[in-house]
Amino acid sequence: MQNILSVEHIEKYYGNKGNVTKAVDDISFEVGRGEFIGIMGASGSGKTTLLNCISTIDSATAGHININGMDITKLNSKKLSQFRREQLGFIFQDFNLLDTLTAYENIALALTIVKTPSSEIDVRVGQVAKELEIEGVLQKYPYQMSGGQKQRVASARAIVTNPALILADEPTGALDSKSSRMLLESFEKLNKNLSATILMVTHDAFTASYCHRILFIKDGKIFDELVRGEDTRKQFFNKIIEVVTLLGGDNSNVL
Amino acid sequence: MFSKLALKNVTKSIKDYTIYFLTMTFGVCLFYMFNSIDSQAAMMQLSTSQYESMKMLTQAMAYVSVFISVILGFLIVYANQFLIKRRKKELGIYMTLGMEKRKISHIVIIETFFIGVFALAIGLIVGIFGAQGLSVVTAKMFEVNLKAFQFTFSMNAFYKTLLYFGIIFLIVMFFNTISISKLKLIDLLTAGKKNESLKIKKLWISVTLFLVSVVCLGIAYYCITKNGMLYMNAMFTTSIVLGCIGTLLFFLSLSGFLLRVVQTNKRLYFKNMNMFVLRQINSKINTTFVSMSVICVMLLITIGTLSTGMGLADVLSKSMKSSTPYDITFSYEYEKGDNNRQVRDIVGMMANDKIDLGRYAKEYAQISYYASDIKYGDLKLDLSSLRSDYGDEVVDRGNQQPIPIIPVTDYNRAAKMQGKPQLVLKENEYAVNCTLYQFQPAIDAFLNNGGKIALNGNQLVNAEKTSLQTALQTSMSPSDSGTLIVPDAMVKGLTLSGEALNANYKAGINEEEFLGRLQTLYNKVDIKSRKIDAPYDMEISKTKISEQGAGLKTVVSYLAIYIGLVFLITSAAVLALQQLSEASDNAERYGLLKKLGAEERMVNHALFTQIAIYFFLPLSLAIVHSIVGIKVANNVVQVLGHLDIMGNTFFTAAIFLVIYGGYFLATYFGSKSMIQQKQN
Repeated sequence: MQNILSVEHIEKYYGNKGNVTKAVDDISFEVGRGEFIGIMGASGSGKTTLLNCISTIDSATAGHININGMDITKLNSKKLSQFRREQLGFIFQDFNLLDTLTAYENIALALTIVKTPSSEIDVRVGQVAKELEIEGVLQKYPYQMSGGQKQRVASARAIVTNPALILADEPTGALDSKSSRMLLESFEKLNKNLSATILMVTHDAFTASYCHRILFIKDGKIFDELVRGEDTRKQFFNKIIEVVTLLGGDNSNVL
Repeated sequence: MFSKLALKNVTKSIKDYTIYFLTMTFGVCLFYMFNSIDSQAAMMQLSTSQYESMKMLTQAMAYVSVFISVILGFLIVYANQFLIKRRKKELGIYMTLGMEKRKISHIVIIETFFIGVFALAIGLIVGIFGAQGLSVVTAKMFEVNLKAFQFTFSMNAFYKTLLYFGIIFLIVMFFNTISISKLKLIDLLTAGKKNESLKIKKLWISVTLFLVSVVCLGIAYYCITKNGMLYMNAMFTTSIVLGCIGTLLFFLSLSGFLLRVVQTNKRLYFKNMNMFVLRQINSKINTTFVSMSVICVMLLITIGTLSTGMGLADVLSKSMKSSTPYDITFSYEYEKGDNNRQVRDIVGMMANDKIDLGRYAKEYAQISYYASDIKYGDLKLDLSSLRSDYGDEVVDRGNQQPIPIIPVTDYNRAAKMQGKPQLVLKENEYAVNCTLYQFQPAIDAFLNNGGKIALNGNQLVNAEKTSLQTALQTSMSPSDSGTLIVPDAMVKGLTLSGEALNANYKAGINEEEFLGRLQTLYNKVDIKSRKIDAPYDMEISKTKISEQGAGLKTVVSYLAIYIGLVFLITSAAVLALQQLSEASDNAERYGLLKKLGAEERMVNHALFTQIAIYFFLPLSLAIVHSIVGIKVANNVVQVLGHLDIMGNTFFTAAIFLVIYGGYFLATYFGSKSMIQQKQN
């Protein structure tokens, strides 16, 4: 399997001399094409910092991150934004849809940023909308949609540019359980039908149980790794719960 | 505790406040400067008439200042409402912490007070120094010398500024308290993420409204061009009302359908950030179209006052040069009941009263005017351009006036005083003198067509193909709309209508002393009161005219600058505040664009376009309005002389470029830094 993402000995320190916080402490892992990988950890474990480093929003203190064969720690800011719009798709916890644009326009925006010919835009937005079953809300504004719809629109925006890697930061964090389930099923579908590579950060075991593989992070280090393999989602979920219990002290975040 | 919180708030949001603060400081500064003119007079050597002009100037400024303070008051109240709206979240947090509304308004009042005191103090300091500069300009405009430069301070203007702005701040505090007491916690915390949506959904309604607005503006333009600005009649009102409605509808429909039109063109809509920018503007459409219309009208006033005001001042000083060829003119008009008219020997009558004009004047000559039965209308001049500029009424009335006639000898004496060529007329010839340039083409056309006239039963033919342009007496502005010059023999049997004695002084003559002697002698309280035994009933001296002219010129141009600048900074500040207060909402949106991978350049471009549209859409319509407005206003100004439109347009454009452009750039860079701050 070809690697889309490889993280090599990445470190991220905050603070100054004498008072250093190691948010990410020597993490290495790889993500293959078409994988649906989850990163779990309690709040403060460093998972969001890790995601920020991978998503080029933040820069790592040390180490290398290769995405689609490119070392993003060596790119300048102009190259970075080019890289971000061509290779990455983002899904945020609070949707981050533009409230001035309709759903259709929010999705089309991602395409206009990569300067897609206008003739293609309609077709591509239509395809993604169909896949994510949001055709009915395309002409609505974000404040006229439910949370689940908004997140699916955000997902459509992330996938529409055919990025190498989709990064999802707590995508179900602001959703109720039914909407969460629908969203995660959409992710599975995107993963399977469009062979999208998805990297999802979450602290929720149920959400994580949709992944193929899960990395557990504690105090900035990889604590454990779980592979779903041939398990059913239920079985996988139970395994996750076990690890989470092992991680300890974070039961409140377990369903 | 509260004042500490308030002070911290002010320093924290100093970026939001900068433009507001600077505008207020500038306002205070202008206010002080233009109100302190009376104290500046202290260091100038003024003659009586200059002193009078100075008093007129001071008074005019005082009246206008009331109006100006209303405008600035509006700006400050509006800006404060805006700043409160913008801080909804912060105020909401205070409220959830259990702070009473009374306490919150307390904090806001203290904040307003801090800013007010700072702005007043700095504005006054800058104003006091600026006033020194203004006094030099005033002295130059009055064409007087400064006795010695001294630092002046006007207590009067100082108190006045404190009082006016004090009142404004009290009003602001009152409004702030009201708007805070009306706040609801729920609204404060979930402060508007909703888009304002236009009531008009259908494209054809937008298009229709747009067409209606264009028609409205068209009619308004037509009315004002046809009617001119001299008559405040129904037509004038119509054009103003239609102009306002048209402007409002224009922006209402434009923002509505601009989006639709661009949306239909997919290539344009999906190009770069066009979609985003259009939606940004559309999301605030209801607030936008009203403020755009108001700002458009304010800009129109600015452009209008600046360019025509300066133009008027210019014309006054230019036309004065050509209309005052003689140092002094004594004029006399024969009484209606006086049936025994003889050419009045003004010099002789003065000599009888022991005033030897020859002692004062190196040369003098008298012109006698005669009335005839030839009326202007009889010449059948083509005055169509005058008709369209001033209206039929003026022209028709003018056509009823008899044309004045002077003998050629009188003309030649006057021409000699000015070093102009002598006119030789054969016994059946005549010539026409005309200094009002609006009439010259019509008269020249009449002469070119071999215009013959009948005088006292004699047929006269024109000696010259064009009219002569000699000022026959000193006056405020060129006023000769056509005078016939005929051979001396021809005036026999005509009725005398008036006299004008022109004189040029000898070198080193003190005019004040000369006029003083005349005045004591003829006991003239003012020039209009007629004394039968006086040889003349009005004297106009070149010095007096130029002094009064300089005064008038100063009043006009100061008024134009004062009003123009205040309107300009007010409208620019309102726009800037709107954009900056939206910048925090926008910051999130623009931040998201960056996260999605939009390049810095692309994002900045979108921001630039958005702010540029807000600033230049109202300006563009205002420019179109003012092209029409200035053209009409110029027709009024042109009565006084020819107007240098280019120069004044250039001047106005320069001021706009500096101030409006400055506000625009400040807004852009302010918003940009807010967005960048949000990223880090």
